[in-house]
Amino acid sequence: MPVAELLIAGILLGGLYALMACGLNLVFGVMKVINFAHGDLMAVGALTTVSLVAGLKFPYFVALVAVPLLCALIGLFMQWLVIRRISDGPMIMSLLATFALSTILVNVAILLWGGAPRGLPTVLSGSVAMLGQDIPLSRLVSFAVAMAATLGVWWFLQSTRIGKSIRSVSQAPELAVISGISIDRVRYITFALGAAMAGLAGVLLAPTFASDPNLGARFGIKAFAVIIVGGMGSYPGAMLAALFMGVLEVFAGYAYGQVFGSATVFLAMLVVLVVRPRGLFGIGARA
Amino acid sequence: MRAGILLAIGVGLAAVLPLFAGSYAMSFMVNTFMFVALAYSWNLIGGYAGYTHFGQVAFFGLGAYVGALSIAAGVHWILAALASGLAASLCAVVLGGVMLRLKGPFFAIGMFGIARVFESLAMGLDNITQGGTGLYLAVVNLKHIYYVLGGIVLAMILITWRLDNSRLGLQLLSIREDETAAAALGVRTTLLKVGTFVASAFVPGVVGALYGCYLGFVDPTNAFAPQTELTVIAMVLLGGMGTVFGPLVGAGLMSGVNEILWARFPQVYLAIVGVIILIAVLYMPRGIVNFAQRRGWRWVPVARGHLRRMADRAKGSAKP
Amino acid sequence: MTQPILVVENVGKSFGGRVALDGASLEVAPGSITGVIGPNGSGKSTLFNIVAGTLRSDTGRVAFDGRDISRSTPAEICRLGVGRTFQISRLFAELTVLENLVAIAHGKSDIEAVERALGLLEFLEITQLRDKWGAELSYGQRKLVEIARALMLQPRVMLLDEPFAGINPRLQNRIVDRLQALRAQGLTLFFIDHEMRIVLEICDDLYVLAEGKVIAHGDAAAIRADEQVKQAYF
Repeated sequence: MPVAELLIAGILLGGLYALMACGLNLVFGVMKVINFAHGDLMAVGALTTVSLVAGLKFPYFVALVAVPLLCALIGLFMQWLVIRRISDGPMIMSLLATFALSTILVNVAILLWGGAPRGLPTVLSGSVAMLGQDIPLSRLVSFAVAMAATLGVWWFLQSTRIGKSIRSVSQAPELAVISGISIDRVRYITFALGAAMAGLAGVLLAPTFASDPNLGARFGIKAFAVIIVGGMGSYPGAMLAALFMGVLEVFAGYAYGQVFGSATVFLAMLVVLVVRPRGLFGIGARA
Repeated sequence: MRAGILLAIGVGLAAVLPLFAGSYAMSFMVNTFMFVALAYSWNLIGGYAGYTHFGQVAFFGLGAYVGALSIAAGVHWILAALASGLAASLCAVVLGGVMLRLKGPFFAIGMFGIARVFESLAMGLDNITQGGTGLYLAVVNLKHIYYVLGGIVLAMILITWRLDNSRLGLQLLSIREDETAAAALGVRTTLLKVGTFVASAFVPGVVGALYGCYLGFVDPTNAFAPQTELTVIAMVLLGGMGTVFGPLVGAGLMSGVNEILWARFPQVYLAIVGVIILIAVLYMPRGIVNFAQRRGWRWVPVARGHLRRMADRAKGSAKP
Repeated sequence: MTQPILVVENVGKSFGGRVALDGASLEVAPGSITGVIGPNGSGKSTLFNIVAGTLRSDTGRVAFDGRDISRSTPAEICRLGVGRTFQISRLFAELTVLENLVAIAHGKSDIEAVERALGLLEFLEITQLRDKWGAELSYGQRKLVEIARALMLQPRVMLLDEPFAGINPRLQNRIVDRLQALRAQGLTLFFIDHEMRIVLEICDDLYVLAEGKVIAHGDAAAIRADEQVKQAYF
């Protein structure tokens, strides 16, 4: 088993999971809503990137900026249209509502782009020799940008005023209201930020993986497994768990085949749900 | 009473339908019956006990595979369907004890994950399941499947009716409303919810097997399709969760929408299903049947009426 | 003296590092009205929840009718004959009042359950609420329905979690009146509250809790005279 190669591949994959999972976790922390449409925002991001770069011949870095903004707008719209009306209601309703949003996004995406996979083979092609391995440039860049963005958002939450109000709404909403934070505004910002992170993940995976509207169901869905393993609401937990799950998936995939690689991710999630429901690094979860 | 007569008329019509209907109409009816049966099963655990279940399709798919493999081994298709139901329930016994300790979103995500694991297994264990190629089996006469499914649907309606007017039904609803309080008031919550989960897995297993017999083909994508899950949930939600006729009303409506749109514009259809769920969640979260009951529409049977009637009688007899 | 029906022996409980109960003991005589009072954070609620089985004590034991219930689940304790109400109403919102009562009438036939429910609604003078949804009721109505629901199983002991908090004096008096009628029928009542006026008026036996310990015990007159209680409370 080529351990070094697999380890590197796993960590590189984990970077994308981290970006996805942290966005999802952020939204859950503030809204207590599990956004089933998170992965589909990523798919929309990836497909938009393909259209911009391969279709309209924009440079890749334009997509890197424009697509997250677009996704943030979609996120604001979703928050305005649906989420703000159900986030304080029964959990079952918000689960069903975001499940419905997910279906709508996927199928609108199929109408717009068709169901066939699309790629960006020409962008960031080539590879870099590192640690005795040839690593594809696209993967390296996507990992670096994803980790930078994830850590950047963390810094934003820890150090800026808006970030601090997001954290206080997430940890002690009653207190936040008393201290004059507008929960409404924080929720809009959070949902937009989460959506932008999903969109960025889409941009980053477009050069490496073939993108199609069902990408969310295949790839994005693993972010749920990541945040369960890392602990719902725990930002560093999600980051660590993402890298761990990336490595786990790559090793399991190598040993037992691609299909089992994905299954292992969910198995790990189920084990954690049963054995330690608050997650490996997380806070209380049997809400 | 009125509901009983309506039901009898419905059963009568359904029984003679195959004498007139062509194969297209029969296909439509078989499909609708499948979803009605699935919706009633989902309603038990999702509607009455209040556990949002995103993994029913795991039992459906399991049933499809157990059925197809049994038939390949020479078992008669009806026995194979029964075996599939039992296999699904058995699987639910194992899963239920573990998964039902989880609440709300954790249960939902966990069951969703289980469906994906099952799908991966069906894809990966290709020496048994033929992986993505799928299993082929002899197609069973459509009319036979129709009558079997019709029987299942009728049984589910009657069982739900009985449940709705029983203590057991009230206790399940009390779990949905406030599980902690229910336990503190002596309701055996764990036993009840695991039991309901196991019972609600049986019919999806059977229907999964029948689906294989109907298509003549089982593969992982069809057996574990998330859109099956979504459609079932949308039907129950739209009709009214935790009601006797909600699943029937919801499934009837959705099948109609399906019939108009699915064949020509599948993507539009699914997007519209999403929109319907959204509208239901936002504006009518209790569904059509509850909506009508609250407004006292005459043609809708009152929810859980037998207690009220009993109370009226008790009061009447108390008067001299 | 008769055997106490409920015994709490040296019960301790801490959350994280914070000690909520520090070896509290008390006894409830059958047919009595026994109250526990204490300032906020004195451990009242923790004690109540340990008796009801929703929390598990770290040390000590709780016995009901001579049987150790320290490790029993809330459902088991309820079925032994201990009814309870909740501090914040936990009626089943999407069930009618009648259904709320009948749902938990374990071991009774439907007709028995309905008749008992109607009897209780009449006893509490809320017959008109029979077909209302749980969610439709006012705060005070909920309190009354919760008492009716706790009585469905003909408990021998009834645990009341702050039954008088946040309701107007007229309703308070009405509840007091009904509780005394229940006691006259032989029911044992055990409750926690901070409404000193009522507690001193109706309790046969009182325990005062402060910082997780019982600091005083006796009838109303004894508690009024107790120096430690005055310091902690008045």
